[in-house]
Amino acid sequence: MRKYASVFRIALADRLVYRGDFFLSTFLHFVPIITTILLWDAIFKGSGRETLGDLGYKEMVSYYLLVMIARVFGSMPRLASGIGTDVREGGLRKYLLQPIDFVGYLLAWRVAHKLIFMMMAIVPYTIVFWVCRDYLPDWPGITTFLLYVVSLSFSFLLGFSINCLIGMFSFWFLEVASFLHLFMTVQYFLSGHMFPLSLLPDGVRDVIVWLPFAYETYYPTTIFLKQLPAGEALRIIAVQATWVGLIWVGIRLAWSRGVRRYAAFGG
Amino acid sequence: MMVGRYGRILVRFWKNSLIREMTFRGHFFVQVVGEILWVAMILLFIRVIYMQTSSIRGWSEYQYLFLTGTHLLVTSLFETFFFSNCWRVSELVRTGNLDFVLLRPASAQFLLSVEKVDFTALANVPVAAGLCIWAATKEGVTVTPGRIGLYVLVIGFSVTLLYALLFMFATTSVWFVRQTGLQSIWFYVVSLARYPSEIYQRFAGGILWFALVFVVPVLLVSNVPANVVVRELDYRFVGYLGLMACVMLMLSTAVFRFAMKWYRSASS
Repeated sequence: MRKYASVFRIALADRLVYRGDFFLSTFLHFVPIITTILLWDAIFKGSGRETLGDLGYKEMVSYYLLVMIARVFGSMPRLASGIGTDVREGGLRKYLLQPIDFVGYLLAWRVAHKLIFMMMAIVPYTIVFWVCRDYLPDWPGITTFLLYVVSLSFSFLLGFSINCLIGMFSFWFLEVASFLHLFMTVQYFLSGHMFPLSLLPDGVRDVIVWLPFAYETYYPTTIFLKQLPAGEALRIIAVQATWVGLIWVGIRLAWSRGVRRYAAFGG
Repeated sequence: MMVGRYGRILVRFWKNSLIREMTFRGHFFVQVVGEILWVAMILLFIRVIYMQTSSIRGWSEYQYLFLTGTHLLVTSLFETFFFSNCWRVSELVRTGNLDFVLLRPASAQFLLSVEKVDFTALANVPVAAGLCIWAATKEGVTVTPGRIGLYVLVIGFSVTLLYALLFMFATTSVWFVRQTGLQSIWFYVVSLARYPSEIYQRFAGGILWFALVFVVPVLLVSNVPANVVVRELDYRFVGYLGLMACVMLMLSTAVFRFAMKWYRSASS
C-alpha cells in the first residue's frame, strides 16, 4: 500500500504545477452551460408546458449544473489514450519491471489528480452554484446527500474502469485514439451529458438503461435532483457496483492476455 | 505575376497536405466516421427538442436544421483551410521556428495561413451541404440562383471573419507564450454560434447578445447565412457581416505586423 501512497503524493505535486490559468479555464467550462440553459428557456417557452420529460424548467437548469459535478468525478481525460501510448511506444516496460500493479498505479495517480482538481475547483464551482442558487433543488437531507456522494464515487470508478478497458484494447489495435473519439461521442449522448435521458421515447430509454454509461452521469444526478428515496438510490448504486465489478474482470482478463502479446517496442 | 506566384505556392501547399493525409488513410476514414457520428448526435438532439415544441424563438425544426447545416458548413470550411494553420502560429512562436517563415521571400501572413489543409474537416462539407439542401427542401423554400449566390457570398464572409478573429488570437501568443489554447477558444466559438441568435437576446438584458454580435461578432457567422435562405433576408445584417469580415481581416494584418515587431526568437 505504501508504494501506491507514493504514487499518490507524486501525482499531487505534478498536478499543482499547472494551477496557472486553472481558474479561468474552469469558469470557461460553464460557457456551454449558459447557452444550453438559454436554449432550454426557449424550448420551455415554445412548448408552453410546465415540465418536459418529468423535469420543470428550474430542474432542467439544475440538471445541467449537476451533470458538471458528475463529470468532475466520471471524466477521465487522457486515461485510455495514455495507456495506448504506453503500449505503442514501449513505455509499459517501466511498470512491468517494477513490483507494482499497472492498473493500481493508474488508479492511485488518478485519485490524486481528481482530489487536487476538486480542491481547486471548489471555489469557481461554489461561485457558479451560488449565482444559480434559485434554480437548485432544496437540500435533500443528509441520507440522500450521502447516497449521492457514494454514487458519485462509483461514477468515478465506473469512468475509470470503462476508460481503462478501452485503453487495454491497444494491445490488439495499436491506435486507440481514433476509436476513442467515436466512443466519446456516443458516450456524450448515452450518459445523459447531452440532455436528460427522460426526454427520450420509452423504447430507446429501455435499451440505454442496460448500458453502463447512464450510471456514470444520468442516474447519480437524479439521486440529488429528484431527491430519490433511499431504496431507489441504493438500487442505482448496486447497479453501478455491478458494472464496476464486471468491467474490472474484463480489465484483468485483457491485461493478462495483453501483456503476453506486448512486444516492448522502442530503445 | 504576383497572383501567379502565390497561386503556385498555394497549389504546392495543398498537394503536400493531401500527400500527408493519404499516408494515414485508415486514420482518415475513422476520423470521417467520427465526424458523421457527431452530426448524427446533434440531429438526434434537435429531434428530441422538437418533440417538445414546434418553435424555438420563431425557428421551425427545418429552419433550425438548416442553421445547423450552415454552422457545420462554415466551421468545417474554417477548420479545413485555417484552423491547423492558426494553431501552428502559437507553436512556431513558442519554439522560435517562426524565423524560418519570416525569412522566406513572400508574405509571412499568407504563408502562415495557408500551409496546411485539413482534409478530414473537408469531408464534412458535403455532409453539411446535404443537410442544408434537405432541410431547405422540407421547409419548402423557393431557391433562386440569386439566393444561392448570396448564400455562398455570405458563407465566404463568415469564414473570412472567423479566420481574422482566430488568426488575431493566435498572433497574441507573441505576448502571452503560455495561454489558454486556441483549441479551447475555438470550442467556445463553435458552441456559442451554433444556436439561433434570438436565444441570447433575453439574457442579462441583451448584453451577451450585443457583445456576440457587435464586439466579438461570432453569432453572425451561422445565423446570417441561414437567415438569408430560410428566413427573412435582411440586407442590413448581410452588409454588416461583409463589413466586419473586411474590417477584421485588415485588423488581423495590422495586429500581425505590430506583433512581429515584438517577436523575439527563442533558443539560440
